[in-house]
Amino acid sequence: MSNAQQRLSQVSSHFGPGGKKGAAAITEKHPDDIVVTCALRTALTKGGKGGFKDTAGADLLAGVFKAVLNKSGVDPSSVQDIAVGSVLAPGGGATEFRAAALVAGFPESTAVKSLNRQCSSGLQAIADIANAIQSGMIDVGIGAGVESMSSQYGPGAVTEFSDLLESHPESANCKVPMGVLSENMAKDRGVTRASQDSFAAQSYQKAVAAQKAGLFNEEIAPLDVKWTDPKTGEEKTITVKADDGVRQGITAESLGKIKPAFAKDGSIHAGNASQISDGAAAVLLMKRSTAERLGQKILGKYVTASVVGVKPLLMGVGPWKAIPVALEKAGITKDDVDIYEINEAFASQCVWCVNELGIPAEKVNPKGGAIAFGHPLGCTGARQVSTLFTELKRTNKKIGVTSMCVGTGMGMAAVWVSE
Amino acid sequence: MLHYRTQGYNGCAVKYSPFFDNRLAVASSSNFGLVGNGRLHILELTANGIQPLKWFTTQDSLYDLAWSEIHENQVLAASGDGSIKLFDCTANDFPISNWKEHAREVFSVSWNPVAKDRFCSSSWDGTVRIWSPHRPQSLLTLPTHSCTYSASFCPHSPDIISCVTSDSYVRVFDLRTPASASNHLVTQIPIHAGPPAPAIPGQPGGPAPPAEALTHDWNKYRPTVLATAGVDRAIRTFDIRAPQQGPLSTMLGHEYAVRKLAWSPHLSNVLLSASYDMTCRVWSDRSDVAGGDMDMMRAGPVVGAELGRMGRHTEFVTGVDWCLFGSEGWCASVGWDENLYVWDVRATMS
Repeated sequence: MSNAQQRLSQVSSHFGPGGKKGAAAITEKHPDDIVVTCALRTALTKGGKGGFKDTAGADLLAGVFKAVLNKSGVDPSSVQDIAVGSVLAPGGGATEFRAAALVAGFPESTAVKSLNRQCSSGLQAIADIANAIQSGMIDVGIGAGVESMSSQYGPGAVTEFSDLLESHPESANCKVPMGVLSENMAKDRGVTRASQDSFAAQSYQKAVAAQKAGLFNEEIAPLDVKWTDPKTGEEKTITVKADDGVRQGITAESLGKIKPAFAKDGSIHAGNASQISDGAAAVLLMKRSTAERLGQKILGKYVTASVVGVKPLLMGVGPWKAIPVALEKAGITKDDVDIYEINEAFASQCVWCVNELGIPAEKVNPKGGAIAFGHPLGCTGARQVSTLFTELKRTNKKIGVTSMCVGTGMGMAAVWVSE
Repeated sequence: MLHYRTQGYNGCAVKYSPFFDNRLAVASSSNFGLVGNGRLHILELTANGIQPLKWFTTQDSLYDLAWSEIHENQVLAASGDGSIKLFDCTANDFPISNWKEHAREVFSVSWNPVAKDRFCSSSWDGTVRIWSPHRPQSLLTLPTHSCTYSASFCPHSPDIISCVTSDSYVRVFDLRTPASASNHLVTQIPIHAGPPAPAIPGQPGGPAPPAEALTHDWNKYRPTVLATAGVDRAIRTFDIRAPQQGPLSTMLGHEYAVRKLAWSPHLSNVLLSASYDMTCRVWSDRSDVAGGDMDMMRAGPVVGAELGRMGRHTEFVTGVDWCLFGSEGWCASVGWDENLYVWDVRATMS
């Protein structure tokens, strides 16, 4: 830095948030804020049956990339890096995601990486891009997430554990299937079947209401894909523009009749756990000063994110531990937050976290969650951002939090401000 | 209100002469002190308004100045190139002395008002240095390890020196203590700590996060009291006898960082502030009505009162000083708008 630049940064440091604290400080606008100028997702469709059952994950990703380029109008060559979170893709998806960016219209100068932090991969991708922008490594980037559970979900997704890993109890716990450990956690923490079913039914009811009112239209980018009719075997092209896992008429009573999936006396079943789905989502990030220079419309800003570790067998408590850390980093309290998007991996863990944190139910997932429309693993973290910003804007609210539990025992959370 | 324009130079500091009731000096810089020359203006209040007596142009920006306490024609200037220059109003063009030891911008200079053969400087290089006008090298270096925006000798004791830094601390050094590992440091007051301030509508309450401290000043009547202010917009007073007890009083109201504070030479409870919010404000810390400094059982800081406000500046106000002579209340302010105003604070009070 030259002398003059050093002096300038010294003087500009005098304009920090200073005494302002809490919501007042994070809602202030500064040129170096990391802002979101576009957040879109594909519809989420049922694994193996839904609209994207015959579409490769990379194609979903290319589709959402194209939609982001179209909607934002950003010059593709100004995007310097793309991070894509994905969980099941062999090799992390590194090869096909780079190819997907090229086919979507990004020039060769746009770099692409893939990453995997299990169910928070999409959020981690966004946080990585935000950090890269903050540190000056890049100016414009995309954080994205994608998962084709139709084609890539299955036993092959986890490598066999070595004797070494098996020899250590906590280490061996990392491979306990999510359903089994959530069942244990529900028992351990006393989360009743009734409370899970009622939470799950509400997720469905909220999603149905939101879908009817067209509240997802703004965040979903319709995609034309090839689809084979399972009855006739006929291949046709369809436009997928709505989440197809959302079901009408679900009540706590109707869910109460379903047999538990993981233990005879268990409480978890297909109706109160997240759906296996396909989908992709992408979030365009840059500094506020860059957005203003490029004439990008600002949806809101990324404030901060947190990542924490918890016991592998209690991975469901992740949001409970991660959210307070993110709130503290942002300097706000839980009451300053208007909307919480907390991933519903299982009703049991989500309802426990919400109760334990003391968050009012009406602030949590106002348009429903993964139980109603699905949890394409790597996509979810990026999907939540589009869902959150459209709802904050519609209801004229300001501050939102996205969070999820992470397999093998972690939690992530991020704080967002809508503008 | 009297006015003078420091054409082409953005004001950074202003000080009244301790010898002449009609003389003052302004330290200024071209291009807002970012790059380019500095200029020290020596000005006189005359029947025809403010007239330039002399000016000295320097290679680099000038950020602060201090009048000599032993020689009526001499002024120190703090330069962006790390040097301190002593100018004599009877000489032309060049400084009569030049000290260059600081590695970065010198942001404040202060002359010892008691032991008048000493002055000190503070710099962004994280040190305070003590000098004698008669010696080519500094007498002592006090490390702060943090960008030091302001250093000042206590007006009540020749050996006590204080400074505020970007790490949000007031440091008090006593030069009578042995130069042990603590480098004469005797007290360190966390500006941001202390009991929560009572909330004022529209203002933040509760404990504050650390914020860069940009300015401070010793009270002229209460030997253990000083005031600090900076990036967090709050002005606080502290008693150095109770460093962990939090502020004696807080004064909230500035909308951006406070750049300069000055206690009144006439009234023990009145101080003047200059801020990036383009205003100068007059405050009472309410020590006159709130039980003085002796109430050690107080529940929390007293909330000071804003007595008046001057809003003529159209850019950051960077310097204020009180006139020591004549009727109480006259002061001068400078800012990045190239304007020097000489005004009476009583005219701003309702």
